[in-house]
Amino acid sequence: MKTIMDLRNDLDTSKITSEELFNESNIKAHKYQEEYNSFVTIIDEYSKVDANTLLNGIPYSLKDNFSTKGILSTSSSNILKDYIPVYDATVYKKLKEAGAVLVGKTVLDELAMGGTGTTGHTGIVRNPWDKERQIGGSSAGSAASVALGIVPFSIGSDTGDSIRKPAAFGGVVGFKPTYGRISRYGLFAFASSLDHVGCFTRCVKDAAIVTDILKGKDERDMTSLPDENIKYTDMLNNDIKGKKLFYIKEITDLEMYKDAGSETLEVLTRFKETIDKCRQLGFIVEEVSLDEKLLKAIYPAYMTISCAEATSNNSNLTGIIFGPRGEGNNINDIMFDARTKGFSELIKRRFILGSYILQKENQERLFKNAQRLRRIIVDKMNELYKEYDAMILPASGGIAPKFDDAIDRMSDRYLILENHMAIANFGGYPSITIPNGFVNDMPVGINITGPQFKDGETLNIAYKIEEKLGYKGLIKEEYDV
Amino acid sequence: MVTKEKLKDYAGKLMFDMDDKGYDRTLEEFETIEKHMALIGQIEGIEEVDPMTFPYVIYHSSLREDESKECLTEEEVLSNAKETKANQVKVPKVVG
Amino acid sequence: MYNVTIGLEVHCEVKTNSKNFSSARNTYSEYPNENVDTIDIGLPGILPVANKEAFRKSLMMALALNCKTPDIVMFDRKNYYYPDLPKGYQITQMEKPVGVDGYVMINVNGEDKKIGIHDIHLEEDTASMEHFSDYSLIDYNRAGVPLLETVTTPSIHSADEAIAFLETLKGIFLYTGVSEARTDRGQMRVDVNISLSKDDTLGTRTEMKNINSFNNVRLAIETEIKRQTEVLENGGIILQETRRFDEEKMETFPMRSKVDAVDYKYYIEPNIPPIKIDDSWIEEIKKEIPMLQFDRVEKYMNEYNLSRYDSEIIVKDKSVSDYFEETIELGCNPKSSANWITSVILGYLNKNDLKINDIYLTPKMLVELINMVDSGKISSKQSKQVFTKCLEENKAPSKVVKELGMTQITDDKTIRDIVVKVLDEHPDLIEDHRKGKNTFDFFVGQVMKATRGQANPGITASIIREEIEKR
Repeated sequence: MKTIMDLRNDLDTSKITSEELFNESNIKAHKYQEEYNSFVTIIDEYSKVDANTLLNGIPYSLKDNFSTKGILSTSSSNILKDYIPVYDATVYKKLKEAGAVLVGKTVLDELAMGGTGTTGHTGIVRNPWDKERQIGGSSAGSAASVALGIVPFSIGSDTGDSIRKPAAFGGVVGFKPTYGRISRYGLFAFASSLDHVGCFTRCVKDAAIVTDILKGKDERDMTSLPDENIKYTDMLNNDIKGKKLFYIKEITDLEMYKDAGSETLEVLTRFKETIDKCRQLGFIVEEVSLDEKLLKAIYPAYMTISCAEATSNNSNLTGIIFGPRGEGNNINDIMFDARTKGFSELIKRRFILGSYILQKENQERLFKNAQRLRRIIVDKMNELYKEYDAMILPASGGIAPKFDDAIDRMSDRYLILENHMAIANFGGYPSITIPNGFVNDMPVGINITGPQFKDGETLNIAYKIEEKLGYKGLIKEEYDV
Repeated sequence: MVTKEKLKDYAGKLMFDMDDKGYDRTLEEFETIEKHMALIGQIEGIEEVDPMTFPYVIYHSSLREDESKECLTEEEVLSNAKETKANQVKVPKVVG
Repeated sequence: MYNVTIGLEVHCEVKTNSKNFSSARNTYSEYPNENVDTIDIGLPGILPVANKEAFRKSLMMALALNCKTPDIVMFDRKNYYYPDLPKGYQITQMEKPVGVDGYVMINVNGEDKKIGIHDIHLEEDTASMEHFSDYSLIDYNRAGVPLLETVTTPSIHSADEAIAFLETLKGIFLYTGVSEARTDRGQMRVDVNISLSKDDTLGTRTEMKNINSFNNVRLAIETEIKRQTEVLENGGIILQETRRFDEEKMETFPMRSKVDAVDYKYYIEPNIPPIKIDDSWIEEIKKEIPMLQFDRVEKYMNEYNLSRYDSEIIVKDKSVSDYFEETIELGCNPKSSANWITSVILGYLNKNDLKINDIYLTPKMLVELINMVDSGKISSKQSKQVFTKCLEENKAPSKVVKELGMTQITDDKTIRDIVVKVLDEHPDLIEDHRKGKNTFDFFVGQVMKATRGQANPGITASIIREEIEKR
């Protein structure tokens, strides 16, 4: 499957037109829709503005929790099933102005609160590598649309690992830059202090290309970082000799997963082989030991913070100004009815949890302690980044789970191994997942997380490792596993 | 002690309800999270740590200059509202 | 008798061009939903962007109320569901308000008093609703308008003090230009907390919310004091609750008790990163705060020997007070200036519904006019004529005086010649005068007639007296 740069070349040499590219994407989108359910909305009418950028004429998909003026934006929830925004998210606006062509809005876990791709209001998203398996979430449709070869890139959002986990399960690249690098204006908020915008691509270079277009100060987002006068694409050939990577012993030590089954062992063994390859490349890679208690606390703290913020962020969903109007004779009843019908049980449970966490009598014990834990972890990481250039870890302890064999992330077995990528959300670190071959014919990924603001450097490290590993632009129908 | 009745009350304050099994499942989740959070509470010296809201603080942001810009049109404001009247959103009578 | 303790929470809209967290216009509008941005109706995906001017004005108010100000800006979310709150939370300040621990001096019926300010914080207004027989309409123009909440300590002890505080606060809003503070437009709304007790401890308090005129604040306080007194006298207890004041029935009614008080689940607004407040900015703002009413009254009384009554009249409107002070700077006698302003100018302004800066007469011109009277160039009576003509024709007083040929004759010989002539013509009347008849005013009148009113009345009178004596 072609990368953005390949398509750029084809367009520039008039091998194909942008409209033909769009039509190909559109046909594929429809072809795979019933089987894999990547999209909430497929766009059938070609429209684009002309621009002089690398993305000019390139088709892409956008997670359905971004505001697109005049185009249905549901966040895969019944409570927004008929919502047509009156304004554009900054990322959508930038892509439009860059000449990129929107092919469709992708399915997510309802309100981005989930990691399975199974809770959207229009049905489950299936893994292109095995229909009986999840692709992961919450940016499930985005990952699937790239993994299926429908589009060369897709825009997602990442609050815990919502881009980087499905990227691993789908055999594609998933990148979220530093918190604030890309404006969140128009991204339907899940947990504002953890939410990131990012992208799925077929290769690291494409991720740099897309991020170059999306990044920048936005006067509509106070947390957006100031512009910097650099292009990440220009940083991909920098020398990495002597760059230092670390991995965490407590996450990767085979000894700890003796009872975990062969898949996990294989994933970890493969990870160790990758470490060796990194060393061959010239990286210095070291093992770092962290307090297991802290690592085990990541997911509970993540749940605590994200559910608390989510319950507040979604308080606007009452069916009064937008969304389906509830039934009832008084104002409370209509809000109550709209919310009762509009949210699935899972969402409601998380909201109850979130509001409980924020209650006056629980805030100190739950919310603030989670926020304290967040600081302890981030301080620890920042300390490590004084010595190291990036952290490298397996993106998951296994392959994409089957639908009937969902992972309990709270169980001791998975508590650390499946949740460590939230570290990058705690500290707002640039973090990228790249394909690392296959286990049991299913793709697995490795994750590279760099220090705050070092987006280009982190991409460069991933770029060099990608080159060595040789897994690029994976899609099943073209790949002989 | 969190009970199902309390959970129902919390849900009510969040303006929704769900079936009974939902509350059972919520109760289980509460136990799990409380158990885990109790462990966090035991981390040595945690009470001295300043709770973290922002991933980093570099004071890069500035306040917005006070200039009014173009507003939404009335049609845009009301375009998703199910009931409107006299250019306003109409709802059942609000009392109190 | 019971000790009355009152605390006030005053909400006041801040005057800015745009809203607190969006760039929508912040203007009073008759047309619904025309000043609305995505943020103001809480659309999915919106982010607040804090307004610098709203913050600057809030800091100014905090400083004017002698509060401590923070070194970094932070906002918090207050979570609750209500149809006038589109986001489902209000952005306000809990942890780092713009000001804490301040005070303000007030004067209650001639006595100075210090009222404590617990804190002052910046938040956003809600949408406004209009209620009809079986439905309500929501207008989002007001949603997101910057709102400054001033919270006093429980240091107020009567309705008079409460009103004096509110008048002082309103004066500060107007003097600093932070708000127009118009109660008729709902720009200033008051929550009142009241408790009674026999001793120094605080009794159980009740709260009355959203009272929209100072007069109703007074009535509500008096009514609630009466009710609580009756309850306590009859051995009852006061419940901690929110009550509603009904101005028609002149009674307060319970709304909701503390038992089902809302937990607002405050937490730091994660979309507004901390912003540093430079000391230099604070210093700059301090310099922009003018001398306020309380201090001006003190100054006028102590330095200019004006009465409290006149001083308070002058400081009521800052532009009037500034006008007054400008005349003093130009060397005018404070008493003359105060007299002119309180008795002539304010009367004219009221009658014609004008502001002092609208009229042609500048402070410099007023001083000129006063000087002409003091030097005897024109009479006091003439000066009123000049004042009116000056405003009607937009002409400087000196020009009016010249045009009307209004100079006084004070020269002894000129007047004496005329007096002698008048007396010569009426020997019989001199005789009558000597017999005790009042013919004196006739002579004065004749002199005035002969000089077209320009002869100085005092000089004329004494010359007439002298000349009669001579005969």
